Amino acid sequence: MTRRVSAGHAVLAATALCVIVIAASLSIGPEPLGPLHLLRQWRAGESIEDAAYILFSLRLPRTLAAFLAGAGLALVGCAFQALLRNPLATPYTLGLAGAGSFGTYTALVLIDFGRLPYSVIGVPMVQAFAFLFAAADVLLIFLVASRRARPTPAVLLLTGVTLGIIANSGIMLTRYFARPERLIDMDRWLMGGVDIVGYRPVAVLAIGVVPACLWLLTQAGKLDQFGFSEEMAAGRGVNITRLQLTVLLLGSFITGVIVSEVGPIGFVGLVVPHTVRAFTGAGHRLLMPVSLLSGGAFLCLCDLAARKVPVAGEIPIGIITTLIGGPFFLYLLVRGRFADWET
Amino acid sequence: MNRCLAAESVAFAYEPGAPVLRDVAATVRGGAVAGIVGPNGSGKSTLLRLLCGLLEPGSGRVTLDGRPLASFRPRERARSLAFLPQGVQPVFLLSAFEVVCLGRYPHVGALAGPSSHDLEVARRCMRDTATDDIRHRSFMELSGGERQRVLLASILAQEPELLLLDEPTAALDIHHETEVFTLLARLAGDGYGVGVVTHDLNLAARFCDTMVLLSREHAVAACGAPEAVLREETLSAAYGARIRVGAHPFTGTPLVYAEPPEGAP
Repeated sequence: MTRRVSAGHAVLAATALCVIVIAASLSIGPEPLGPLHLLRQWRAGESIEDAAYILFSLRLPRTLAAFLAGAGLALVGCAFQALLRNPLATPYTLGLAGAGSFGTYTALVLIDFGRLPYSVIGVPMVQAFAFLFAAADVLLIFLVASRRARPTPAVLLLTGVTLGIIANSGIMLTRYFARPERLIDMDRWLMGGVDIVGYRPVAVLAIGVVPACLWLLTQAGKLDQFGFSEEMAAGRGVNITRLQLTVLLLGSFITGVIVSEVGPIGFVGLVVPHTVRAFTGAGHRLLMPVSLLSGGAFLCLCDLAARKVPVAGEIPIGIITTLIGGPFFLYLLVRGRFADWET
Repeated sequence: MNRCLAAESVAFAYEPGAPVLRDVAATVRGGAVAGIVGPNGSGKSTLLRLLCGLLEPGSGRVTLDGRPLASFRPRERARSLAFLPQGVQPVFLLSAFEVVCLGRYPHVGALAGPSSHDLEVARRCMRDTATDDIRHRSFMELSGGERQRVLLASILAQEPELLLLDEPTAALDIHHETEVFTLLARLAGDGYGVGVVTHDLNLAARFCDTMVLLSREHAVAACGAPEAVLREETLSAAYGARIRVGAHPFTGTPLVYAEPPEGAP
């Protein structure tokens, strides 16, 4: 029997973590200023125009973007792990991030060669392609699975892994066709980054991620049933096909939006749910909201690290999450047991 | 009210041309244990899934108190009948109590967690199955017999009136399989209707009130009281083997024994 924290304490701790990390993210940077600093300056009657610009046009949108992306990726990881009954299921292992990246690259190359307008009726084509490719990935997974009498979670996972590999060679192909001077930008994007300016990306993330995440949270009770026994879940009135379709489509939508804005950021969907589960247990009514909050805080923290590592400029955030996530993953494998998993 | 779940001349095939059940009838009534027996591959588990409403019959119909089972909303159905499949393999680490609480799903709203009433029902079901003292232990660390009792508690927590179980004694030793069947008979005494798929004809003979014997040809070979079903010629034809039937020395119920194939040493 694992020792667990109470529901109230878990939510409180995750919320406190978010507040601290967001405050730190706003206060720490090349310029020593934060909300408190700004307030002091304002009361002293000094000009706060520059400071306000840095705070509200650079640091705040960047922090919000990191938070939304991390929260969404962690929540999708949680849901996929239960849905595929596998501790390794993440937006990554299902090929979603790869497919989204492939879509982004395809759009970039087509735009460069004048075969695709930058945007169609206001919808930026890069984002549209990222989402469409991610959705195609999920539909293909479902199509392959539904060709079989019973779409077992193992089939879904293997299909996703295979499609991810195909998407990666698709990325290579678009790189081969891309203009050489374009490659630097493209590769930089592939490393993931929340170094955004202004609120347009934040708005896209908020509109794309928040409603879908809330919808995904309502599936918690069904995911509990599904993780225990698929057949018992069906016997208790869970519509299995609808649950699979709902979670996969919501997951691909959330991932597609995030990937198109900040690039493929890996391991968040793996590190966060597994860590949170060790504290909350495997009940999704608690695990999912706490993972959501912790995922947001985790990516903000990674972004802070990316900004503060003492090298020229800053390190892409995708490299940071992978540097943290990779060893963590190996540790899970070596320990031979995932917290709160029976495998 | 005495519930009655009935399959009426149902047929089913997973793939066209390969019927798994032909024109089969079976009934599970409140207050009685109904055994579903037959050789491997005769369609016992499929029949149970049709009775649960998890599969739709190709022809014929399944009714609960005369109303077609397909017309029930899934959660409404789950409040009347509960299903315990074989080989439950949870992926998450759960305590026995958490497993039993999962049974409250058909009564709990989509967003709300279990209420104190739900937790009380779960505790009561654990007391009824003598699992209350192991409620804090991890489900997968329990012995086979304990695990089966916890699963029974978890389907009882659905507060159903009919229980449908697929080989609940598979992989249990003789003491624990008798324990499970004793519990099922006691539940039937309390008014539950029990439908149980089993391979153990002797246990079925001892504990079932009625039996349905499916044949290798996926049809009903016999049904009725155990003494009427467990006859040498009926069983031998259904299993395609030489089956002998005697009387149990202590209980007097039929005692079934399969002869080795002809020519075997």
